[in-house]
Amino acid sequence: MISLKWIDKWWQTMKTAWSNYMTYRYNLFLQVVGPALVFFFIKYNLWNSIYDGDLELEIGGYTLSSMIQYHIWGFILTMLAKGHHAVDLGQEIRLGRISSYLIYPFNFWEFHAASFVAFQAYQFIVALISLAFFYYTGLLGPLNIEALALGILYAQFISIFWFILQFATGLMAFWLEETWILRVILEIMTAFLSGAFFPLEIYPQFIQNILQYTPFPYLTYYPIKIFMGEELSLWAPILTISFWMALGIILNYLLWKRGLKLYTAAGM
Amino acid sequence: MITTNSLTKNFKSYKKEPGLRGSIKNIFKREYITKPAVEGFDLNIKKGEIVALLGPNGAGKTTLMKMFTGIIVPSSGQVQVMGHEPYKRNKEFRKKIALVMGQKSQLWWDIPAMDSLLLLQKYYEIPKDDFDQKIKKMAALLNVEELLHIHVRKLSLGERMKMELMASLIHSPDVIFLDEPTIGLDLIAQESIRSFIREYHKNNDTTIIITSHYMADVQALCERIVLIIDGKKGYDGTLKSFENILGSEKVVTFVYDTKQDPTDAIWQGLDAKWDNNHQQVDLRLPEKKLREITSQILIQSPVIDFHTEKLPIERVMKVLMENPKILHK
Repeated sequence: MISLKWIDKWWQTMKTAWSNYMTYRYNLFLQVVGPALVFFFIKYNLWNSIYDGDLELEIGGYTLSSMIQYHIWGFILTMLAKGHHAVDLGQEIRLGRISSYLIYPFNFWEFHAASFVAFQAYQFIVALISLAFFYYTGLLGPLNIEALALGILYAQFISIFWFILQFATGLMAFWLEETWILRVILEIMTAFLSGAFFPLEIYPQFIQNILQYTPFPYLTYYPIKIFMGEELSLWAPILTISFWMALGIILNYLLWKRGLKLYTAAGM
Repeated sequence: MITTNSLTKNFKSYKKEPGLRGSIKNIFKREYITKPAVEGFDLNIKKGEIVALLGPNGAGKTTLMKMFTGIIVPSSGQVQVMGHEPYKRNKEFRKKIALVMGQKSQLWWDIPAMDSLLLLQKYYEIPKDDFDQKIKKMAALLNVEELLHIHVRKLSLGERMKMELMASLIHSPDVIFLDEPTIGLDLIAQESIRSFIREYHKNNDTTIIITSHYMADVQALCERIVLIIDGKKGYDGTLKSFENILGSEKVVTFVYDTKQDPTDAIWQGLDAKWDNNHQQVDLRLPEKKLREITSQILIQSPVIDFHTEKLPIERVMKVLMENPKILHK
């Protein structure tokens, strides 16, 4: 149950997380912006070469300028929804650093969830700065404030899904020596299937049909479309993602329960 | 307060031959080994006791601590701490215990200790006035008032350990588990930590379980010793009777500034152990004859210095670790 004391615990954990992040603020900035920016420039150059400067050419219904806008929104979305990662979680388990968290009367997942919320707040500011930058370069075209607000809200919703998924990969450290490979597989698979590389219209219809039952299209393609001002029904994405979130929470619970039995608290 | 019944913890690992060949072989075929770290352990600790868990490296002391605190799950047997089964990690249980790990920091490395303490204040739901008072008192006792706002990673090991102690005692736990709290510290820091723990115990009647390889810690703090060898209980009793396991003999050392003759009549029948220069001799004397023989030697030979051993427990531990079978005689 939510009480003042509970809010206090979360708030103080978030403040501690901010203090931690601010200690290495330049590293953190690079960590947040770096990968997303590199990924954006790769895609920017790729699509520029494919269109070969032809401004009239349409691929899957996208002109060069709308394709670039699609990927700029993809960049903003990545920062709003996806920056938090579970590298530390896997490492903490493997090196036996979670022992202290097991003793404190504050749940381990809550500590990580509060740190995630703190990180989201930081990322939000960086994403807004990036948005302003792209807007003033003229690459983004006119802004639709209503679509922007809705997109930001939706991005926060899917960031929870990402957190649950990342938490699950981190918990795999109870069984695996290294969990980074899992994350890389997940990242690449998601990039292809969610529309981060190519808008989904480019894929054959039967693949699009299958994908709608998975969470993938709702992680990148849909939110980008929301940002771009397209009017879409949000029921399907919200229900699908909620279903996968519930599944993820159950999975995390089971992984945690079973994993703890294997935990040896190495190095103590 | 703490009871265990046939408590056992097995760890599973696998063998790996060195080099690339070993790694490849390992992918296809692994030979698993299950080793008991703690086996059939029975223990009963009462409220307010300070108990030392002693034993060589790998004996199972830390594994016991991990089971007492609920960090790891026992393989079989029972463990109860204040009526709770620790591995269930009930929140009420977690509020009553504290763990200090000498080899691992519990404080957040990149922020000042005070920030960590404030976080713990919220986790343990300590009222602000109470918290401020405790911080003030403990910081003064440990002489760390000036260090509370410095990043933990910038503190020395001794300073950090004092902060760790503060962090673990801030919620006034009923049981404190100290896993090698003085490891790697200089003599002054060791003494300061010891006297703080002693003082804390005196004022709060807290139950304290401590593991340490420094016998000075044990001598200064504990009345009861539990010796663990190969995961099993080898000895459980008072410090005094532990010191007398090898008999109630005392080791006395006499020092000379000139070479002595070991065949001299005064050394006959005393099992004297001389150094290479024949300028220092160790004698093991029955406690009853200590006074008489020491006086004779002091009168009959040109002794320039003499002393009895400061920590007889150290000698007993050394002998028992080299030959644990003595315990079963």
